[in-house]
Amino acid sequence: MIHRSALRLIKMFLTRSEYDRGVNTFSPEGRLFQVEYAIEAIKLGSTAIGICTNEGVVLAVEKRITSPLMEPTTIEKIVEVDKHIGCAVSGLIADSRTMVDRARLECQNHWFSYNEKMSVESVAQAVSNLAIQFGDSDDDGGAMSRPFGVAILFAGCDEKGPQLFHMDPSGTFVQFDAKAIGSGSEGAQQSLQEQYHKSMTLKEALTSALTILKQVMEEKLSSTNVEVVTVTPQKFFHMYSKDEVEEVIKDIS
Amino acid sequence: MAVVETYAGYGPIQAQRFSPYADNGGSIVAIAGEDFAVIGSDTRLTVGYAINTREQNKLFRLSDKTVLGSCGCWCDVLTLTRVLNARMMMYNHEHQKVMGTQAVAQLLSTMLYYKRFFPYYVSNILAGLDENGKGAVYHYDPVGHYERNYYYAGGASSALLQPFLDNQVGLKNMENVTKEIISLEKAVAVVKDAFISAAEREIHTGDAIMINIIDKNGIREEKFALRKD
Repeated sequence: MIHRSALRLIKMFLTRSEYDRGVNTFSPEGRLFQVEYAIEAIKLGSTAIGICTNEGVVLAVEKRITSPLMEPTTIEKIVEVDKHIGCAVSGLIADSRTMVDRARLECQNHWFSYNEKMSVESVAQAVSNLAIQFGDSDDDGGAMSRPFGVAILFAGCDEKGPQLFHMDPSGTFVQFDAKAIGSGSEGAQQSLQEQYHKSMTLKEALTSALTILKQVMEEKLSSTNVEVVTVTPQKFFHMYSKDEVEEVIKDIS
Repeated sequence: MAVVETYAGYGPIQAQRFSPYADNGGSIVAIAGEDFAVIGSDTRLTVGYAINTREQNKLFRLSDKTVLGSCGCWCDVLTLTRVLNARMMMYNHEHQKVMGTQAVAQLLSTMLYYKRFFPYYVSNILAGLDENGKGAVYHYDPVGHYERNYYYAGGASSALLQPFLDNQVGLKNMENVTKEIISLEKAVAVVKDAFISAAEREIHTGDAIMINIIDKNGIREEKFALRKD
């Protein structure tokens, strides 16, 4: 049986036409091919998992260490947006820097104007506004010429409690209890669906995220090739140190 | 020395200096309690010795939890409150929630500071309930300095009202008094007494006061007559 995503790719190539070129040109069937291709680009990226519990949100990503001479700590796929919000990215990491910059800027602007934390949903909305500003109109100098090739998981704790949002290159953002993005996302999402329950503790979510990550990763999971972050109402954004990651890993089979 | 041209025997032409501000008087008093806030303002609007109207409400309901009292240059008050309402409406649409009192307090400060070099000539006092349901009073200078207090007076009669509040609410210079959090009845009574005294001695304040009482049930309005001369 042919893999589902492979089928979709074949179909996509069959329908390739002149509508492929303009990023803002609809095909007669009403599709924007470049946006769809950008969404495909995410599936080449490394896997990232987010799980939202009542105690906080867990983010876990794999780092692809392509050479033993590479310095693993310089691969940063989970970043702090504000004290109470972090995000995990998958896809073209360089593109994600622009979006993370915008998210940070919006958070600080919000704090400046209102002296309060920006909500996770509002950050997703603000970054979504940036994500759809692609096109070939040159009246706005800062515009991107193509859609961003990244998917983002926003994790944070605001007045509504712990929250997890997913955003794709089309700028669509949706709230999730648990979400996987990147190359291993199909399998990981399936496992998340089986393992997630509403009363999950943060510790359970951590173990679950790393177990699933281990299953979908090509390399052997270790404390150097994963990044783990929790966002809780008490400690806010917390990046796990090598030792802390090892502590979690030794619990999983 | 510059040569000043004379105009047909009328002497040198004096450039009419543009004066963009008017002082339309008015005073505001606000007191915060444990779970309520009271804010009152007089309803007289003046220019010099003239009275423009005796029934101008100077309290602006910004939400179910927040009321702004604003006086000074009335045209600035009108513009400031309209922009503030618009900003709050936009916030409401952007973030799908009503702006809390503390956020309004910061926003007002930011808006005032943005006109640092051509300020709104306005005395503002903001009263409401904070995110924990406690009474809150914020007062401002015209360029955005702000501070949270339990009670404050602003506007034309502030110099008369503030010492009275310091004594009756802050219990300053009092011996053998127990400092306790003010009750709603006492707060409303103090607001009325303060304005009665101010209207007695200060001509830009008078006619009547509007009082807004903000608590968890919403906002109640009360009107109280002052001397009209």
